[in-house]
Amino acid sequence: MLEWIQRGLSQGRITTRYPRKPEPAPEGYHGRIEVLDAHDPPPGLAAVCPTGAIVVAGRSWLTVDRGACILCGECVRRAPERFAFRGEYETASRSRAALVVDEQQHPHTEATRKALGEQARMLRRSIHVRHIDCGSDGSEEWEIQALWNPYYDIQRLGFFLTNAPRHADILLVTGGVTGPMRAPLERTWNVMPAPKALVAVGTDACSGGLAKDGGLIAGGVDEVLGVDVYVPGSPPAPIAIMHGLLLATGVLAETGVAA
Amino acid sequence: MSSTTAAKQSTAMELPGYDQLGASIEPAPPGEVRLRVGVPAFASAAKVMQQAGARFVTMFLAHTPERSLCAVFALHGELILVRAPAAPETIFEPIGSWWPAASWAERELSELHDIHFRGEDYPSQLTAPDADLLGRQVSGLDVFSIPYGPVRSGIFEAIQFHIETGGEDVPRLHTRPFFKHRGMEARFGGLTPDVAVHVAERVAGIASCAYASCFSQAVERALGIQAPQRAERWRAVYCELERMACHLDVIAKEAETTALYVGQARFQILKEQVMRLRSRLAGNRFGRGMIVPGGVRGEGMMSLDDVLAALDEFERDLHRDRRMFLGTASMTDRLIGSGRLPRRLVEEYGAVGPLARGSGLSTDARHERPYGNYTRLGLQVVSERDGDAMARVNVRFGELSESLRILRQTVDHLRRRDGDLKAELPSTGGAACGWVEAPQGELLMWVELHEGVLARTHIASPSLRNWALFDHAFPKDVLTDFAFIEHSFGLTPAGADR
Repeated sequence: MLEWIQRGLSQGRITTRYPRKPEPAPEGYHGRIEVLDAHDPPPGLAAVCPTGAIVVAGRSWLTVDRGACILCGECVRRAPERFAFRGEYETASRSRAALVVDEQQHPHTEATRKALGEQARMLRRSIHVRHIDCGSDGSEEWEIQALWNPYYDIQRLGFFLTNAPRHADILLVTGGVTGPMRAPLERTWNVMPAPKALVAVGTDACSGGLAKDGGLIAGGVDEVLGVDVYVPGSPPAPIAIMHGLLLATGVLAETGVAA
Repeated sequence: MSSTTAAKQSTAMELPGYDQLGASIEPAPPGEVRLRVGVPAFASAAKVMQQAGARFVTMFLAHTPERSLCAVFALHGELILVRAPAAPETIFEPIGSWWPAASWAERELSELHDIHFRGEDYPSQLTAPDADLLGRQVSGLDVFSIPYGPVRSGIFEAIQFHIETGGEDVPRLHTRPFFKHRGMEARFGGLTPDVAVHVAERVAGIASCAYASCFSQAVERALGIQAPQRAERWRAVYCELERMACHLDVIAKEAETTALYVGQARFQILKEQVMRLRSRLAGNRFGRGMIVPGGVRGEGMMSLDDVLAALDEFERDLHRDRRMFLGTASMTDRLIGSGRLPRRLVEEYGAVGPLARGSGLSTDARHERPYGNYTRLGLQVVSERDGDAMARVNVRFGELSESLRILRQTVDHLRRRDGDLKAELPSTGGAACGWVEAPQGELLMWVELHEGVLARTHIASPSLRNWALFDHAFPKDVLTDFAFIEHSFGLTPAGADR
């Protein structure tokens, strides 16, 4: 056992300091799709996207619905002059509509990031998180689990995993909600005490993603329950999910005060 | 089909009982033997295969060249596809009643594809489970039943285990998959292969590269083309990295279950290193978007020298952590003897992957029917005798080393020689099987293409085939061994439910 302790200590600190310090994505990371040129798209460009995430508004203005985007890169390959990947982790949003913007206005400045950390602190570092899988492809679970590994160690921000929904403040939902998971999802959410927040993790949970057209899933968690924070991505990276969890503490703080 | 071999001599033709089947051999791509039999001879053909020692792989509804029920068997390095025309209302003789490996496949066909078997009377819906419907079968003093799942404790995928126990022994355990059935097989239809590969990557997300490779190989075989060597090497790089990530995940979870927290952290660190390496190579942490029918989409985004350096550093850490893991008695004591699966049972169920290799089998698609890069590499199949959770973990440790060896060799080849990355796909039709050894075991896909567009796809996932065995994994084990045994299986419900 002593050897294990030595081994553990020998590593030194590898944990990210996010959100106190920014955590940039590695070079070339496919964090989200950026629209480089939104003007007058050629006809048929929207059909390039297998999930219909390319929206042409008023026939002349191009936008990407990040909540439906699976980051497959079909658009970047077909029209590199209009679309590009951007290496960015902080893609979560508190409204579904905000995911359909032509260009994000860099809302995550140093100050807002630090404010998110403060928010978590205000809740006395005791936020209990529960997860339910409603039909993900399995990769989102890996990325959520990674939050408790030494690289991300989300416990340092006061997030704890709980197995009892009755103890949970935040519910992480993955997958677009299959038929057999609908009732278990509703039951889990209903027994959670207020204030509580629901975070949809992954594009499948945000909109149904690629599985949507099969007719076997509801097509996004918000078809079943109200979603407080959307974390798009297929799957979102651990920092993206951490960002979503920090946004969710804002929901808790607001509704908690109201209650 | 362009690359077909005419009525080739196959071992199948020499099997005892083959003459009575009235089978005709149909043209097929290399490595496949396709037999057409009449409806009454379908079950007899399966019997002939079973007696010859074949492994049941899967059974599905095909529409090429006509609507037929098709069963796939693996025998002596060949895939044998037996099909019988399935006009609507045809009733087939059951196979699952005497060959457990076929049991779930039969139920799925009956519930989802309108293919019916004589005397079918299933206790519950396999493909549309009701979490509250528990058929208790064990009675006795103090016996209670635990429905564990589909909402799991911890961050796990949805699946339900119905455990009947007196508190210690587990007289009956029943696995209920399909809570996550998303209809992914149907999602391929109407897409071109280069778009459909995105669907393949999202069937079982933790094995994206294996699914993408398998799908790509099936399409290539159906269209009679071959991916360039360099592309096959890149595919092997992504697939072996994926295998390492999956195996490390299993080992970290075993350490977590024993509360060996530093060990858990160490293996999580190793897994994260692999994830980050993949992120630097492919732009995402699961290696998605690189493998495509015809080859790969491009070179990795990171220099090959850096890949080798990262592998060297990784291996030093792995060796040290493995030695400590295997030397910690509180860890290994929980694994030794837990969830023992005898070889006979594993064979009956046609189980594959580290699970089968932990029970003394040497089933490995990379070795049985080498494909792509593995035709040029000598693969050492890691196999253990004991059949317990320890054996399954040991197989994974062995495969981590083997993956590193393959990676080093392949990256070195990539470094020394240049070449094409992608072959053009013709807009023709065809149907074929593709297979790979996914981290969870042998994965097989059947694809049918018409004029360059996907018509039908069937996925025989290793997770579904192995999960049928979980019901039998508690011969002398107690309830508290549950988590150890479940993790040692290392399966993914997303792949099983599709």
